[in-house]
Amino acid sequence: MGVDNVKVLLTAVKLTKHYKDVVALDNVSFEISEGITGILGENGAGKSTAIKLFLGLIQPTSGLAKALGQNANESVAVRARLGYMPEHDCLPTNVAATEFLAHMAEVSGLPPKHARTRAADTLRHVGLFEERYRSMGGYSTGMKQRVKLAQALVHDPTFVFLDEPTAGLDPGGREEMLELVRKTHREFGISILFSSHLMADVERACDRIIVLQGGRLMQSGEVTHFTKETETVFIEVDGNHERLVAALEQRGVAVATDGHGLYIEGPDESVYDLVRDALVESEAPLRRMAPRRRALAELFQHEGEDFASELVP
Amino acid sequence: MMGRPEVKKREGTVFDIGYQNYTGPREGRGRARLSVIRNGVRTSLGFGRGALAKVLPWLFIGVLVFIAIIMALVAGAADRLVGPEDADQLNLPSHSDYYGIASIIFFVFAAVGAPDLLCPDRREGTINLYLVRPLTGSDYVFSRWLAFFLVMVAVAWLPQFILLMGLLMGDPRPVNYLLENWLDIPRFLLAAIPLAAYTTTLALLAAAFTTRRAYAAVFLVGLFVITTPFTTGLASEIGGTAGQWISMFNLSNIPVHVNDVIFGEPSVITRSAPAAEMSSWILVGWFLLWTLGPAGVLWMRYRRLTP
Repeated sequence: MGVDNVKVLLTAVKLTKHYKDVVALDNVSFEISEGITGILGENGAGKSTAIKLFLGLIQPTSGLAKALGQNANESVAVRARLGYMPEHDCLPTNVAATEFLAHMAEVSGLPPKHARTRAADTLRHVGLFEERYRSMGGYSTGMKQRVKLAQALVHDPTFVFLDEPTAGLDPGGREEMLELVRKTHREFGISILFSSHLMADVERACDRIIVLQGGRLMQSGEVTHFTKETETVFIEVDGNHERLVAALEQRGVAVATDGHGLYIEGPDESVYDLVRDALVESEAPLRRMAPRRRALAELFQHEGEDFASELVP
Repeated sequence: MMGRPEVKKREGTVFDIGYQNYTGPREGRGRARLSVIRNGVRTSLGFGRGALAKVLPWLFIGVLVFIAIIMALVAGAADRLVGPEDADQLNLPSHSDYYGIASIIFFVFAAVGAPDLLCPDRREGTINLYLVRPLTGSDYVFSRWLAFFLVMVAVAWLPQFILLMGLLMGDPRPVNYLLENWLDIPRFLLAAIPLAAYTTTLALLAAAFTTRRAYAAVFLVGLFVITTPFTTGLASEIGGTAGQWISMFNLSNIPVHVNDVIFGEPSVITRSAPAAEMSSWILVGWFLLWTLGPAGVLWMRYRRLTP
């Protein structure tokens, strides 16, 4: 089967991996298709083992890992269409980014002339074009993360594995990286497996999630399915917060509050009229009123307290 | 009256054509290996890196060339001072002796240079990026080995060619010299191969067990420097067949004995070594053992390497 026309990009069939007495993956089956898929789990859940199996770097104890339609363990060639961004440091310090990327593109099979062009283009796409001739030893953490992403994309793979791409980044850098991840799929058309223990990152960047715990598949599905609209209405105002709460309670509406806004559980149609009247009476400037979505973190708090406590929301 | 011709303003427009998918050729594993080899050669010679990275390799190459120039000058001076016939009787060092004389420089060059091809990749984690591409651990280590082997061969051949030029120019009858000594050319070309293979393999093997280049270099230099006086002293003390075998453990002489087999005469370095009395087969077999054995260990170390 060719690698160009596949829709299901990764397939795990009863995939099991033991390291002596440690079970890293236990009879796991799932499929990953085009888009951004988050693989979520605490340390030791089996995320990195799954990635290594799909890259054909380790042998499964039993079962099958297929990447782009080919048995990952039998085809070194398929890696020419895969990209991998490791979590840990992997960049040589005394080499310029453009030279390093051109070399990595060549190692992925591109001829030297094409490799140099792709290196410059990819560095432009990750926002490092101006810095491309500098030795990478002098780069900031954010710049290094961008080069790590760039080396995973430089050969224009069909599928890319990102292992904790936001690790070590400040909030601004984290947001930029998540935007780059989304752009990688949206504009570049490259599908992604996004490994993380940060639920917020997975929720913001991914279309689908796979949740692993102790080497077992715990959940999988569309992120929107897990974060679907709830029966709660969320109201955010720019002022007169207390007056609005009082006006609502005066009308018999049960209100919960937190630092961000007001929550009204299970409203029927008539509640919206009462909210309107309360807003007018309290003169509270309305910023937002919408059905509230669940966050992934909440879901896992319901499904398994132990698991949720290991993950960072 | 004609008006001034209208000058069209040239307008430039910058288009952001966005991300372009790559549709060019993909040359797979062969290109991957070739790229690792090319990168290894460039790294060994300091190309594409700062000035500091060029200092050591080119210093060693300079010293090796300098030795060849001195040998050529001495030979040329002897020809002129005592005449070609008498100069031949002096048995001055020539092509067959060069690798023996310069062997310690080759070993130190390999000890210092070869680890640069393996240690930083493991220390900085770059090895992970190689192994997730269409390249196996075996491909990687073989390509690195071949890269340094090619550098060593070139570094060995360069001074021999300079020596040849010097000897030709120093001889009053260059054509006669060439006719009488032409066999030296294929011999020194061939003799460079075991020297390069042996030094490359041992140096990379040491580098495979540490992430610090300096540790590998110090270990190798120590190994070569220590075994020479130790085995020489012990071999002459014991004598006989046992002495010959002890002499075989002089690690810096192992490829020089093969050089002697190729040239059909012992070099000035191995002439007095008891091991030189061993048969050619044993000397070549011993060299193969000391090259293929470490090569096997090196391959095993990288064969199953995973990020």
